[in-house]
Amino acid sequence: MDCKELLFGLTDTDGVSGSEENAGAFALSQLRQYTQDAYIDSFGNVIGRIGVHSKEKPTLLFDAHIDEIGMIVTFIDEKGFLKVGNCGGLDRRLLLAQEVCIHGQKMVPGIVCSKPPHLLNEEEKKKAPELSEIAIDTGYSKAQLEGLVSPGDRITFSGTNRELLNGRVSGKSFDDRSGVAAILMALDLLQGERELPFNLTVLFSSQEEVGERGAHIAAYDIAPDYAVAVDVSFGYTSDSPEDKCGKIAGGPMIGISASLNRSMSDRLIALAKEKAIPYQLEIMPELSGTNADVIAVTRGGVRVVTLSIPLRYMHTPIELLALSDIENTANLLSIYAKEGINHD
Amino acid sequence: MIERLKELCGISGVSGDEDKTAEYIIRQIGGKASVTRDNLGNLLVFRKGRNRPKHKIMICAHMDEVGFIITGVTADGMLRFAPVGGIDPRVVIGRAVIVGAAGFPGVIGTKAIHLQTDAERGSVPAIDTLYIDIGAQSQEDALSHIAPGDRASFCPDFLAFGDGMLKSKAIDDRAGCAILLELIDSDLEYDMHFAFTVQEEIGLRGARAASYSISPDMAIVVETTTAADIAGVEEDKQVCRLGAGPVVSFMDRSTIYDKKLYTLAFAAAKEIGIPCQTKTMIAGGNDSGAVHVSTGGVRTAAISIPCRYLHSPSCVIKIIDMEQTKMLVEKMMEKMAEI
Repeated sequence: MDCKELLFGLTDTDGVSGSEENAGAFALSQLRQYTQDAYIDSFGNVIGRIGVHSKEKPTLLFDAHIDEIGMIVTFIDEKGFLKVGNCGGLDRRLLLAQEVCIHGQKMVPGIVCSKPPHLLNEEEKKKAPELSEIAIDTGYSKAQLEGLVSPGDRITFSGTNRELLNGRVSGKSFDDRSGVAAILMALDLLQGERELPFNLTVLFSSQEEVGERGAHIAAYDIAPDYAVAVDVSFGYTSDSPEDKCGKIAGGPMIGISASLNRSMSDRLIALAKEKAIPYQLEIMPELSGTNADVIAVTRGGVRVVTLSIPLRYMHTPIELLALSDIENTANLLSIYAKEGINHD
Repeated sequence: MIERLKELCGISGVSGDEDKTAEYIIRQIGGKASVTRDNLGNLLVFRKGRNRPKHKIMICAHMDEVGFIITGVTADGMLRFAPVGGIDPRVVIGRAVIVGAAGFPGVIGTKAIHLQTDAERGSVPAIDTLYIDIGAQSQEDALSHIAPGDRASFCPDFLAFGDGMLKSKAIDDRAGCAILLELIDSDLEYDMHFAFTVQEEIGLRGARAASYSISPDMAIVVETTTAADIAGVEEDKQVCRLGAGPVVSFMDRSTIYDKKLYTLAFAAAKEIGIPCQTKTMIAGGNDSGAVHVSTGGVRTAAISIPCRYLHSPSCVIKIIDMEQTKMLVEKMMEKMAEI
């Protein structure tokens, strides 16, 4: 299974929070290679049960979120410019003159309006625009947009997938399609395995970027005993605090935090060491900022851990990661599914 | 013409590094005109017409584009860079670029929004704090692929969208170059000189040498100019509008244009039945600034395609404006030859 091809396939689809249909359908088609027991729930969550499940075994959940950050059309002005709101944490410093795609009745390209510098005073030139000042130029008049774009339509960055040096790639929505890719690759590695010690269930959850809502609902239905939230975390760049970052190509980051199950963290570390899979630690004092936070407090409580793919430039059209980190995440997940049970 | 524009925009040609653009233009001209490349890199083209004009006329467009120059590489393999030409710092982060002659893709990012302070989230980082990430693992690794002095340009990402709109980087002024190529292709009434100039974006430098060498009596500078007909800009500050035809300037920061040629341009537009507008703000400048004061003075007109988001990776023009700009330049050449 080619990691790059899978990742690019996943990121070529769109799935801004609350509108994950296209990304979800693509992920479901990939998931169906490993199980026929897979479906999309009414909340946009993609769920699949892998292998033989039985009451005697504990249930293990692998989660990655299928949604991506983006914008939503709120208003169309008399000249046809679109006003927008944000879906998730949008970095408004990089919006001006960006190419975007409006997912209306069909895909409509647009450019974020940018006032020419000679119309700005010195203070305005240094200021990132407020979201209320953002407008999108579709090149159409209001009349031409009739029946094409409506308030409520989602907007994605038109990120082109690019290959850089050393197996590093850049594009949009790697947060968290890279996690989805890692889980799918783990399932690929598990093919042909005899019965797993877990009831393995996979969740590609909706609406993580607006408050981990998809996982909140799906985890209730799935009722897991153990869960691994596979997401991205900060890849080190020289302007970032080093202690909050992982190294690109340094392997998956195993989470340790007050809200995560320490014995799961330790088991992942032990398995990574045993199988010589590169890994790094991600120490978070309290909550993890991932779906693990909501899954942990589902029903009577779930043992959770995070496994993070280091990623630079999070929430931009140029998110950057090393493919080897996805592959190593997949390796570690597949080994955990086989040997993760520790009788503590 | 649009296909040519797409090909021209696909070429990286930041100021001082116009060779690839020039080579493309030379190939396109083929044997249709005599072409010389001067010491600065300008292409000076002479195309025979059916008749000799009363005055020597030069038509001018610049080959260079705004971009970046690599100034160094950090210990962890990130490329430091400086802008070449007037780039708005607000349109730099979150973009992909193409670095060096081999065209390595790179991206310009900063730490994630989650790690930014409130003050950082609301302000635009200075360009000298940014870097280009080409995926290099170390300084040594980066230097085995690129070198200081290499240029970086925005990615072309040419797009036709909306109601006859085009988007790409470097439409300023490859659109002018594409129009000149069309004119060189056409059956000309009068002999014409064409100059494809270098280094416009860093101070109209190529045009100075080109207009000295050609030494014309009159000139037309074919350009793109800022249109601010967008949301949030009042009408009196919009400068010019897309879809309202070519823009003929009376004055900008580089030139007070020849009054008779200015009037003649509007008359010519009327004669061929196309709309024509003027620039309603004294701002910007172009090669005219160098051309009109050349030798003993050159009567100069600037005819521009209105362009939104100029000097960004997403310059936007309307196809019909470009077609009508070509028509107006063609008509003006004839009228000027006959004055």
